[in-house]
Amino acid sequence: MTTTLPRQPFHVAIVGGGGTGGALAHDLILRGFRVTLVERGEVTSGTTGRHHGLLHSGARYAVKDRESAVECIEEREILGRVCPGSFEENDGLFVAITDEDVAYEPLFFESCLASGIPARRVSREEALRLEPNLNPGLKMAVQVPDATMDAMRMPLRFFASAKAGGATIRPWTLVTELLVADRLVSGVRVRDLTNGVEEEIRADLVVNATGPWAEQLAVMADCDVPIRPSPGVLLAVRGRWCNMVVNRLHPSGDGDIVVPQRGLSVVGTSSWVVEDPDDLGVPEDHVERMYAEGAKMIPGIRTAERRAAWSAARPLIGSKDAESGRELSRTFKCFDHRETDGVEGFVTISGGKGTTLRAMAEATADMICRKVGVEAPCRTREVVTLPHTAYYAA
Amino acid sequence: MTVTAADARTTRLVVSRRKEGDDPGALRYDTFDVAVGPRTTILDALVAIRRELDPTLTFRHSCFHASCGTCGMRVDGREGLACVTPVPTGDEVVVEPLGNLPVVSDLVVDMDVFYDDFDDAGRPLVRSSEKIPGAAKAEGIDQLERYEDCIECGICLSVCPVAGSDPRYVGPAALAAAWRVVEEPRGLDPGPVVRLMDDEQAAWRCHLAWECTEACPSGVDPAAAIMRLRRSAAAARARRLFSFGGTR
Amino acid sequence: MASTIVERGRPAAGPARRRGVLGWFDPRGRRLGGLAFILNRLTGIGLVAYLYLHLLILSMLVQGPDAWDDFVDVALSPPFLALDVLLLTGMLVHGLNGIRVGLVGLGLVASRQKALFIAALVIAAFVALVGALRIFAGE
Repeated sequence: MTTTLPRQPFHVAIVGGGGTGGALAHDLILRGFRVTLVERGEVTSGTTGRHHGLLHSGARYAVKDRESAVECIEEREILGRVCPGSFEENDGLFVAITDEDVAYEPLFFESCLASGIPARRVSREEALRLEPNLNPGLKMAVQVPDATMDAMRMPLRFFASAKAGGATIRPWTLVTELLVADRLVSGVRVRDLTNGVEEEIRADLVVNATGPWAEQLAVMADCDVPIRPSPGVLLAVRGRWCNMVVNRLHPSGDGDIVVPQRGLSVVGTSSWVVEDPDDLGVPEDHVERMYAEGAKMIPGIRTAERRAAWSAARPLIGSKDAESGRELSRTFKCFDHRETDGVEGFVTISGGKGTTLRAMAEATADMICRKVGVEAPCRTREVVTLPHTAYYAA
Repeated sequence: MTVTAADARTTRLVVSRRKEGDDPGALRYDTFDVAVGPRTTILDALVAIRRELDPTLTFRHSCFHASCGTCGMRVDGREGLACVTPVPTGDEVVVEPLGNLPVVSDLVVDMDVFYDDFDDAGRPLVRSSEKIPGAAKAEGIDQLERYEDCIECGICLSVCPVAGSDPRYVGPAALAAAWRVVEEPRGLDPGPVVRLMDDEQAAWRCHLAWECTEACPSGVDPAAAIMRLRRSAAAARARRLFSFGGTR
Repeated sequence: MASTIVERGRPAAGPARRRGVLGWFDPRGRRLGGLAFILNRLTGIGLVAYLYLHLLILSMLVQGPDAWDDFVDVALSPPFLALDVLLLTGMLVHGLNGIRVGLVGLGLVASRQKALFIAALVIAAFVALVGALRIFAGE
């Protein structure tokens, strides 16, 4: 292993302008790579911008998916440091409504502590003092360090930093083909949608960071990625019904999160599996479920005015036979296609969640460095990202 | 959108198209028929057009719920966020980009111009939360926080008649942002911000059309913010005028 | 039912919103504040035009009593009196709205601007009506 890149510059082309792509561009720039990122639409317009904006403490995964839980709480702390002033740091409450919830609580509480997630038991009276709009029939609650993030503007900080560091960020740029010959990927063929011009972008390595579209890109190089797009419905109602993130204290289910977003409250989510991440649909019965489940925690939601209802696709890694998506892990994975498919010059990063964008980038950049044979330590745990407005600096 | 056979109808979208190199004086519109349902939004319809009919159609979007501010456009001549604008009933609906900002491609406008002025105000992203009646802070929380209302959509700049006639005007969003620094400094010194906006191309350029406040999808009330900023600016000037040999 | 492309490259889709200073006077899509904005500009321009007209008329005094008397005959005719009422209305609207602009524009009553505009219009209408009656009654 050396500390210098085999050729200068070593050009990495990232396909996909979601949070992962942005964070990876930032990480690679800091490690001395040359980076071009292409995205067919506006950055974060795929799946990243659509989630409810929960900055996970990881408590949701503490019982069933310990790996995800530990990732979340570590990233929660790091993001608070490298994206200062970007979150509503009001913590979160897991509220127990039924006796089953109360019976689940000890396991939940212990799992949180075992995952390194600070947790505090809160009595019914105190919970109602903290959040007066909660269901007065609640039994008790647990406070955890959840927070609210702006699903678009937080990742935008990584794009801003990458751009300022010299990365070329190209939205409105559609990949029409991967340049492949003799099982070696040497770049991408793109069409600039602002002027129709087609061009080839040569690169030493191409990264597939397209999230739920990972399979669609991978097949262009005869590679296979076990990604299942798994959408869920979200509902935004008018009114700021809570300051803290409110969760239901039970094993993960539909409509069991309420996240305050400015003057709205976002209730989510549900889960099913689709083939085409561009055609998700918004099943009205799922929207009704959001109202019903959200109202169990905050009754006022039942009659709150609908601002929007939409779907967002999670990129879930796992077996193609998964039924609902909930049984697939929420962790992330890097695939080196030389090992998985015998194709050189091509890697995929997929899975994960909004909260773990930086960790996904670090793992991918680490893998790239190993692949290339260079030692370049990750600096994204310490380097403070630029404010999101810097992305638009002239 | 999930459009079932029972509730579907076809709507005609007339969409402004522009690509790099086109003559800005020569307008061009493409007409598409799209199946829509009772809850289909303009953004849903545009996504369907892009997916099924024309992948070269470009438009900004991200959150789908009026939080990111990227999908601002003019629908039948009125500004709004496409993600929460229902497809109107009627024969045709005209979809055009925002005004007073350069068009990059089709419905995409160049937000660099918006942010150049907006950034000058230096407003932080997070503010102190208004109290939900009766709410207390949880243990370990210093103060309750929330994001500023402004989602930086550019709609206020698009509706402003003054911005339409003078590109040097900093615009309602920048002024409203500056007012928030005065109203809640959060450790910043509001003095320089007031002095920056106490300018003929800033706070004093507004002529009270009040269109910005009416059109804002996020309840910012930029017009009132501009007026309050003017009061601060006028008061600061009066103080300077009447302080002889003071340290100000 | 399938989605279809119906037509490409139509050169216009309804009248385009005016840009620039002419756009100030385009009422399409405007709400109450925007209409007040337009009204203030129109009455302002009208009053300036009146000022020049007034000076022009006064210059007739130089031409002697006959020219002036001829003018006074015209000035007392109903169409001219109607113009007087228009002038009065314009002065009232511009003046009262101007008070609103002054108060609101210095941040003194920022949140009540709509109510102030309605009040200005109501008072202007009332006084203009009284004035019109008196003008046409010959006082």
